[in-house]
Amino acid sequence: MAVNRPSVGGPEFAQLVRTVGEKVDRLEENNWDFESVPEVFARDAAADVLAKDLVQIHDGRTMTRLGRLVLGGVGSHFNLMGTMHADSQFKVVGSQYFDEVHAQLGSNGLGIGDIPEYQKLEEKWGKPQDIEYHNYGVFYTLRDMIFWLLMHDAGCFPSTMETMMRRFAEGKVVQNNMYGPARPSFDREQPAMMAGACLMLQFPSKIVEWMEQPMFGGLQEDTIVVEHLLTVQEADVSHPLLPLVVESKVRLRHQDYYVKSFAGVTPKDALRGPDIPPEGPGEYRA
Amino acid sequence: MTTFVAESGQSAKTETHEFELEVRGRIPPALAGSIVVATSRRHKDRFRFSRWHDSTSDLLRLDLYPGKPGRVHATFLSVEPEDRSLLEGPQPDGFYATQPNHGLNVEGNTLWATNLLFGAPLEVDLERWRPVRVLRYLQPTTRAPQVTSTSHFAWSLDGRYAYFHQSLLTRETASRNVEAADLALVELDTRTGDERLWPIVPPPEDASLEAANFHSAFYFEDEGRRFVGLLKTGAVVECLEAHTLPVDHQVARMPSSTIWIIEVDREAPVLQATLLPGIREIGALALSHLSVDASSGNGFVLYANYKQADVGEETHGENIYGESPDQVREHYAGMIVEPLNYGLVLRYEQHGNRSSLHTFSRPYEHGRTSLGHSWLPINIGIGSAGKRLYCTFNGFRPRLLPRHIAAAYPDIAVDPQHIRYVPPLLMRFDAATLAPEYDSKRRHLSYAEPVALAVVDDGEQDYVCTFSPELGLRIYEGDDLSQTVGHAISHGLLTWKDSHFRPEPAHMEFVRR
Repeated sequence: MAVNRPSVGGPEFAQLVRTVGEKVDRLEENNWDFESVPEVFARDAAADVLAKDLVQIHDGRTMTRLGRLVLGGVGSHFNLMGTMHADSQFKVVGSQYFDEVHAQLGSNGLGIGDIPEYQKLEEKWGKPQDIEYHNYGVFYTLRDMIFWLLMHDAGCFPSTMETMMRRFAEGKVVQNNMYGPARPSFDREQPAMMAGACLMLQFPSKIVEWMEQPMFGGLQEDTIVVEHLLTVQEADVSHPLLPLVVESKVRLRHQDYYVKSFAGVTPKDALRGPDIPPEGPGEYRA
Repeated sequence: MTTFVAESGQSAKTETHEFELEVRGRIPPALAGSIVVATSRRHKDRFRFSRWHDSTSDLLRLDLYPGKPGRVHATFLSVEPEDRSLLEGPQPDGFYATQPNHGLNVEGNTLWATNLLFGAPLEVDLERWRPVRVLRYLQPTTRAPQVTSTSHFAWSLDGRYAYFHQSLLTRETASRNVEAADLALVELDTRTGDERLWPIVPPPEDASLEAANFHSAFYFEDEGRRFVGLLKTGAVVECLEAHTLPVDHQVARMPSSTIWIIEVDREAPVLQATLLPGIREIGALALSHLSVDASSGNGFVLYANYKQADVGEETHGENIYGESPDQVREHYAGMIVEPLNYGLVLRYEQHGNRSSLHTFSRPYEHGRTSLGHSWLPINIGIGSAGKRLYCTFNGFRPRLLPRHIAAAYPDIAVDPQHIRYVPPLLMRFDAATLAPEYDSKRRHLSYAEPVALAVVDDGEQDYVCTFSPELGLRIYEGDDLSQTVGHAISHGLLTWKDSHFRPEPAHMEFVRR
């Protein structure tokens, strides 16, 4: 989401904490109905994950997800939110494993840059700018999340909140961090493309767990994805949405892995018709 | 892949696949048993057209072992729709005998899995997880090459007898749509295996056979007489085969749904149906799923829902925004038909000559989501000894509503410029009034929830389970739908080889161990 109030300092901050706290109280007292606090609606949101280049490693006990994201947005500051199991570790890491997998796959090492849809995106919106993720945080409750979104004037959509609420209900938490391009864009037709460091998510699981479908953020209706799945044993695993492109093998730190590579374009959730504005205050019925 | 030979000498090629799920939380003792789910499987290529009524059908059995976290073991049984070897005799080309991709009817150790609209029920041995036979009692002909059967059976009060409708479907002509023929009520004795068929005579005021299809049935008794109610969905099918050219076409409008009441008279050679008063007057479309409480033996309390969707149609062609399919990212092979507007849940109580009617319907108000909505109601589960209802609603994806279908219903079709995505919903109601059990802590609903539902009432409290391959099995205590007590998933639920499960299953059934 676009973050309209990236930082506040001094007494104004203390005042804002109090004011926002009261708004969150009011929202909670009104059963989280946005009608009671219309300021919580996101305004003119246009920010999405455009593409994902992922390496997923499953050793039978732990799922390790390494990924580089290409992001797009209209505005100067943004936040990246995602749900994860509460016993996960989330880190910004070096890209050595990620690069090693791609290097070993050689001519089979399909990267996001090899996907025609991504090439078209770069032709349209340019090469991504390097960004740095910062101000990492974890939200344990819906209240935490809404508080942060109001503090930073980022806002939210009711359909997004409902999905997050369902994920909180099953014992997940929300990781959140901020980013922004050196050369921001305020033109919806020419948003800024951004790419950051390698992110790593690790959690215990006896099975391969794929990422949940992302919600539409107002900019790009689909996500261009390359996913390399590494397993210690040959696995009868397929991607929920993407076709299998290549099967191969790699060796990382004295361990051999079977590799299945999946690539293509996946739709985002909660899409709306062309030129239909996002959920906002005032017009509530559907 | 194995070849199964049934007692009758009929055979089929089936394939099974099993694996463990990752369980987080706990499986409560009340859930010691199995959950069976009927799924549809499709190609991942979203540009491939496939009619939503037709699919490869995979029956899934989830065996639940209570504990913290407990265990969930999954076994898929694949049933290819083109496999006709379960039936004796020649089959007319192009139409399958069975395709168990929708309804689940269970008694004892037997499952009858049913089709969405076309085909006959498949009997499955639950423990061995093997097909036994196809319950097709009418012989297709060249003129009437397909059958249709009730997806959700009616059950006698002691659970011994199952009742469902079956009829042939005649091919369309230049001037007529597909029509039902040889309408029959089937009684199946689950203890002895005996079967009986009665021809049905339609009610004189609802005699058109163009829309005579019945998705669900219920049973009740009144002063010692036995009755079956058939929910007339009213789907109008213009063409018996899936479209070869998936483009815009003229849509024949569905009539308002009705309920046919049939007295089960063992002495009668044919059974005359009558209309349940007050149902046609509601004027809504696609009355299809139900739960019933007829335990009093004197009348019934029926809970049922209207989809407000033209369920005889296929999703293809340009959408209500004039976008061609290649522009619509949500497209997938085998898309369901989206509703034209928000639906309606009804409660109809009848005892002797007295009857009462309550309804629930609401639009989705994104500023007041705690109120819920009634977009595409799917399941109705009764809990807390008949005091509570749990309902699921599939929501709405506006870009998947075809323009040519909406054009046939200008009076009820949603305004494309004032509609957005409506998320799926699980919601709790007061069974006596059909009023939502609003709760200041949001314990009465959960959005973005799978629609397949099972309610397990252990006498002390309800457990509410939902399931989809993507989101897995989710378990709630009925008092609090804002907090799962258990959750089980597996990548094995998402795909079979390199195909995937679409659309998400509509139903599941819990079977106590």
